[in-house]
Amino acid sequence: MITVQNLTKTYGQFRAVDDVSFVCQPGKVTGFLGPNGAGKSTTMRIMTGLTPPTAGDVRIDGAHYQDIPNPGRHVGVLLDASAQHAGRTGREILTLSALTMGLPLSRVDEMLELVSLTKEESKRRVKNYSLGMRQRLGIANALLGDPKVLILDEPANGLDPAGIHWMRSLLRHYADRGGTVLLSSHLLHEIEIIADEIIVIGHGRIVAEGTKESLLQSVGTYVAAADNHQLAEALRAAGQVPAASGDGLNVEGDPATIGQIALAAGIALVELRPSGSAGLEEMFLQLTSETQRDLVASTPGGAA
Amino acid sequence: MSATTSHAAAPTRGSGIPFGRHVRVELRKMIDTRAGAWLLGITAGLVVLAAAIALIVVMFDDNARLTADALSQIMAGMLSVLLPVIAITAVTGEWGQRTVLTTFALEPHRGRVIGAKYVSVLILALATIVLAVVIGVVCNVLGAAIGGYGVAWNIDVSDLLWTIGMQLAYFTMAFCLGLLFLSTPVAVSVFYVVALLLPFMVYGILYFAFGWARDLIPWLDMQYASVPLITGRDMNDNPVDVSALEWIRFVFTLFLWIVLPGGIGLRRALTTEVK
Repeated sequence: MITVQNLTKTYGQFRAVDDVSFVCQPGKVTGFLGPNGAGKSTTMRIMTGLTPPTAGDVRIDGAHYQDIPNPGRHVGVLLDASAQHAGRTGREILTLSALTMGLPLSRVDEMLELVSLTKEESKRRVKNYSLGMRQRLGIANALLGDPKVLILDEPANGLDPAGIHWMRSLLRHYADRGGTVLLSSHLLHEIEIIADEIIVIGHGRIVAEGTKESLLQSVGTYVAAADNHQLAEALRAAGQVPAASGDGLNVEGDPATIGQIALAAGIALVELRPSGSAGLEEMFLQLTSETQRDLVASTPGGAA
Repeated sequence: MSATTSHAAAPTRGSGIPFGRHVRVELRKMIDTRAGAWLLGITAGLVVLAAAIALIVVMFDDNARLTADALSQIMAGMLSVLLPVIAITAVTGEWGQRTVLTTFALEPHRGRVIGAKYVSVLILALATIVLAVVIGVVCNVLGAAIGGYGVAWNIDVSDLLWTIGMQLAYFTMAFCLGLLFLSTPVAVSVFYVVALLLPFMVYGILYFAFGWARDLIPWLDMQYASVPLITGRDMNDNPVDVSALEWIRFVFTLFLWIVLPGGIGLRRALTTEVK
């Protein structure tokens, strides 16, 4: 279990992390979602004792990270898959960690196998690794000490879709055995695939948190008709607040209610479904719009 | 992978990572990269080359004789050309390649890691000195056999200890500059300017030409400060009466190039945020 309490980190006037509190439960994969520069990495560095907090407290299973003897045996950490000595082989990097933690070197082979790095790949120097291979190596390094808690910063970055699903099953199994997982991402679809609980952070503050289902639920229904104007009027008449979204409308009500309204108004629908990822994505963009540097560039036509 | 459900177990129980294990890992880190292996390989090559050249000179020049004293100076010189870079990169490499993220996550007590790095640097320095002494001894015996003269074991223990001590002092200085700058190119440049370029290219001329330089330079350079203590002569080969002043100057140069950068650097390495 990771407990973060009123955590604040300031750099001069800039508040990188601003009074953040949350809990990561064992048995769950918690996703830490936010745009670049939102404070995810800073929070994770404070968790692992690499950055001193300005105020607040982080405990891992009740202890400060610095007070855990041989912490690699309790907490698996991957903060930046690219932060490896380019001149070492993948195997050597794992060997150094295994020696430091006092593990048998057979663990190195087990972990290489677990993350599907072949013997030949493990003997190559890391500078010849793709980002995806570095991520696999970093995850192997984090899992080496058989930890009870995993802290992974952007572990899916650079993985292909198959790799992301592989990571989901890996972390799912890990959590099912009682492990605590916190992973960060700036991409919603990665978090949606991998995480059970989602914490959304923007501008150093938590802007939303809950189970994936509850966050998805709260964003309602996507509906489209041949004539969206007519549909929008019918919805407004029924007390709903429709908002244009792509080729249709987003509404807060659930699909059954919206279907009934359309039926009563005699409007033929072409699409009716829970907003799902599209809705969460809009929420994510909206919630973090202040920190989303490229928002204007990436949403032409003023969709919002 | 068997994450257990027994989260009641306090994570603060159990023993920490023993210091000796850190030293073993740090020793391994110094030689498991291509850069480290090359630096050691080239240094070994330089030592053997210097020994070979000395033997060739003896072979062709009937008047030339090798002595243990001269050989020890040559060998130490060869070692001090490149090996201090390993002492520097032992520290700066971790910051440059950002492996401190992993290293300090596995051992949050940074002082233990830095201490282990320094011990491993000392071990490397001593190991290479022993190796150079062995090659020097072989070279001395061979030289005497080739040149047909009696082997000269003219080196006394105090000279040998000074050579080793100064060698360790320069390695320590390199290590401390690494801590101070936490950057390989900066630390390496400063080290070579201060330890090699200035003493050989600049101080020598100034010391020979100007009286004020003879007063000033021994306060700035470990070599100029130590030579009177070792030989009883100054760098112009004039005899000196070694007094407290000579010792104070030597201690001051140690303070200037080891204690000061080491102290500031240690504070920096222990407290800076690792990103």
